[in-house]
Amino acid sequence: MMRRCLLVLAIAVLQLAAQTVDRTKPPQTPPIPSYKLPPVFETKLPNGLGIVLVEDARFPLVTVRLNFRAGTKFDPPDRPGLAEAVATLLNEGTKTRTSRQISEETDAMGGSLNAGTGPDSLTISGSAVSESLSRLLTLLADVTLNATFPQEEVELYKQNLVQKLRAARAQPDFLAAERLSQAIYGSGPYAHIAPTVESAGKLDPKVLAGFRDTYLVPNNATLLVMGKLPARADLIKTVTQLFGSWPQRQLPPAPDMTVPAPRRQIVLVDRPGSVQADIHVGRAAPTRLSSEYFPLMVGNSVLGNGANSRMFRVIREKEGFAYDAHSEYSTKRDAADLAAVTEVRNEVIEPALRAVFTELENMADAPVPADELANTKNFLSGIYLLRLETQDGLANQLNTIQTLGLPNNYLETYTTRVRSVEPDQIQAVAKKYIAPDQDAVIIVGDASKIGDAVKKFGEVTVVKAE
Amino acid sequence: MKKLAVCLLLIFEMCAARGADFTIPVESYKLANGLRVILSKDNAVPVVSVYMIYDVGSRAEEKGHTGFAHLFEHMMFEGSKNVAKGMHFATVESNGGTMNGSTHPDFTDYFEILPSNKLATALWLESDRMRSLAINEENLKNQKEAVKQERRLSFDNQPYATAIVDVWPTLMYRNWQSSHSLIGSFEDLNSSSVEDVSKFFKTYYAPNNAALVLVGDFQIPDAKKLVETYFGDIPSQPQPKRPDLSEPADFQARTDHYKDPLARVPGLVLGYPGPKRRSPDYYALNMIDAILTGGDSARFRLDLVKGKKSVIQYEANLGWPFASALDYRDPEPYAIFILYNPMFTASQMIDQVQDEIAKLQNEPIDSKELERVKTTMRAARIKDLQSSISRARALAQYALADGMPELINTELDAMLAVTPAQIQAAAKNYLTPERRAVLEITPAPPGGSGGPQKEDQ
Repeated sequence: MMRRCLLVLAIAVLQLAAQTVDRTKPPQTPPIPSYKLPPVFETKLPNGLGIVLVEDARFPLVTVRLNFRAGTKFDPPDRPGLAEAVATLLNEGTKTRTSRQISEETDAMGGSLNAGTGPDSLTISGSAVSESLSRLLTLLADVTLNATFPQEEVELYKQNLVQKLRAARAQPDFLAAERLSQAIYGSGPYAHIAPTVESAGKLDPKVLAGFRDTYLVPNNATLLVMGKLPARADLIKTVTQLFGSWPQRQLPPAPDMTVPAPRRQIVLVDRPGSVQADIHVGRAAPTRLSSEYFPLMVGNSVLGNGANSRMFRVIREKEGFAYDAHSEYSTKRDAADLAAVTEVRNEVIEPALRAVFTELENMADAPVPADELANTKNFLSGIYLLRLETQDGLANQLNTIQTLGLPNNYLETYTTRVRSVEPDQIQAVAKKYIAPDQDAVIIVGDASKIGDAVKKFGEVTVVKAE
Repeated sequence: MKKLAVCLLLIFEMCAARGADFTIPVESYKLANGLRVILSKDNAVPVVSVYMIYDVGSRAEEKGHTGFAHLFEHMMFEGSKNVAKGMHFATVESNGGTMNGSTHPDFTDYFEILPSNKLATALWLESDRMRSLAINEENLKNQKEAVKQERRLSFDNQPYATAIVDVWPTLMYRNWQSSHSLIGSFEDLNSSSVEDVSKFFKTYYAPNNAALVLVGDFQIPDAKKLVETYFGDIPSQPQPKRPDLSEPADFQARTDHYKDPLARVPGLVLGYPGPKRRSPDYYALNMIDAILTGGDSARFRLDLVKGKKSVIQYEANLGWPFASALDYRDPEPYAIFILYNPMFTASQMIDQVQDEIAKLQNEPIDSKELERVKTTMRAARIKDLQSSISRARALAQYALADGMPELINTELDAMLAVTPAQIQAAAKNYLTPERRAVLEITPAPPGGSGGPQKEDQ
């Protein structure tokens, strides 16, 4: 057989006539192919649980997401980290299963089951080989409805959390993110990004169950099931059996999400021995539901999204100040922030910080040239396609729609809305949200090495890293 | 071309009873200049991954040139005859794609993921830099600085990373080719010249030392024509020799300490020289890794994190830290990295890990546990192969390391065929204290400089 194969191969190679091409220019290519998302079926159980079903038979896998509007913004002010603790401990024991049994059952179905929190939502994520879907849903229902938060598991969680917080506080990016959130969100619900040693100490099973009973209720949740699915009627029957008798409950009033007015402040987080200075320059920005979102998102992309963006080209490639230089527009449900980020060697802190300000100012001072804008739009439209290759990729997109309360047609209309952004719209939002005059400037580094240079930019508050 | 596909299927047909339940089409051939080409069509989403792998990595570096393979990888993004400086990034992104490159001990890879109408664009970029890289003083100087910045960001300013990249290999290997730092020293980076870059390019970046993998939404005849058009006339070069990576036969157990001013929680690395790639022991150690650290019910989690409440985090695999079971090429270790609660001592933790291994040596794994671990492994494999780029990576490794890209469809069966007796034997033969290297990483006061403190056993 092998010999015959080789013969076929040899012929094949001969048949390939090498064409001559003009190598001096990028090749002419056909237009971008159209792609239709798999159909999304939506319904609701009588108790308010939203159901989203997506058939994706490309792989013998299923993916589930149970999304609750129960993220870290719902942490009581004196208990940062409560939502995260609830999420982590949900699969550490139920009325009928020990932590060990849950992990063994999960692995036996080739799956995973764990929960995490973002600022707005708590999501339980699971996956399995497709023939195990009903077992996965059974386990999901059990940890959702019957978690007991066993004392011993809570104590171990607290003990390890304290060590992890110590480790996090040694990381410059954690320190910068923590300070930037505080600078932008004041003392509001989005201000904290992690628990504290004190709040970790106050966790106990009763407090965890209290949060669960308040927020993990069907009328506050959406269940997404995706993959190689059984017949729809059968699947809905299974879901109803598992989640149908879960009682509704009235939710407490939403926390006050007011964001303080942005103002220039310079904070230097002293991290002795740091060989780099981490620079984060940012402020509050509009949410995804704002009409300013698409212009600002595209503008942010021109500024600092990817290797073709201005920050990368200038700060890394032209000046060689840093390995990484980018900007991020991070949208939460009730607020958002936009920040430019780079990590530079100590000696160049002053010109590098100046270069960051210049790039931010340039966005406001002049419209984005047409070809640069076209490139950015192509980039965003292509990346959108790339994210849909895997089941997790599509599931995460649909989960974000739930988390942020976006319209159902958000994904379908995304590319069109990106393409419709005009240079003057970008400049208008850049003047409001990218121009740095009211930005918070957070720098993490060795104050003895960079302090004097930073002071040239204004009054500096120096704080300790730990 | 139908015939060819059938032919390949017949050759590589194997029992697929509990396999991946789906088959990835594989078509491979060679251009006249020696470039290996592997095509795998999947028209589900209009995306294509173009993955170029060169059979050279940091282990081919010469003394005085640590970090050179990685520095060279950076140079590959600095332009070529028809692609001006900065245009590589710009072309990929403005066509809706992403790209990157990475340097490993045994290979260096470059990829573009694009909407599938841009296949030709990616081939144009990859072929132009293989044909005519722009090697000049300005680009080299600029990228030396970028690499130094990368070292500061990813190693010098991160806990554990310096110990792992600079010190750990010296414990695991006696042969300099494997024991030197992959990221390199600033001194060595500074000493690299334009001539060094040109020589490396000519020696290693030839079509006959590379493989090109296309995965995604295209038609086979179109793809073949494009590949021939862009790569067919790039001249081949004398086949470079692989470096001599042989290690002394008797591995000496050793322990080092590293004081890390950036670490807050103590860490520990344990490693054992591993078997030959794709040998029965390789599969057995891969299974041992899954038993110890694979799923939620892995023994490290149940016994050490939960039971003894000592380990906080762990990671391990064949080839750790710079390789994986997939790109493992001898010599590589099986190595484990843990962070642990400071209430325990390093020597207690070494004992706890070694006790877990002793259990594997002393009693056969029960069938229920083994079945569960195999299910986890199978599912992880399917998940892994969902995206076009991870399929391309797997095809490239099987092409380069084994000469058989078709292994993508059968290797899972080999991974799952491990028996309890093989597991016990591999644990006994490979994972003993006498064949063990240990690196203890201890938090030091912030602000000081880190460093190893030798304490030979």
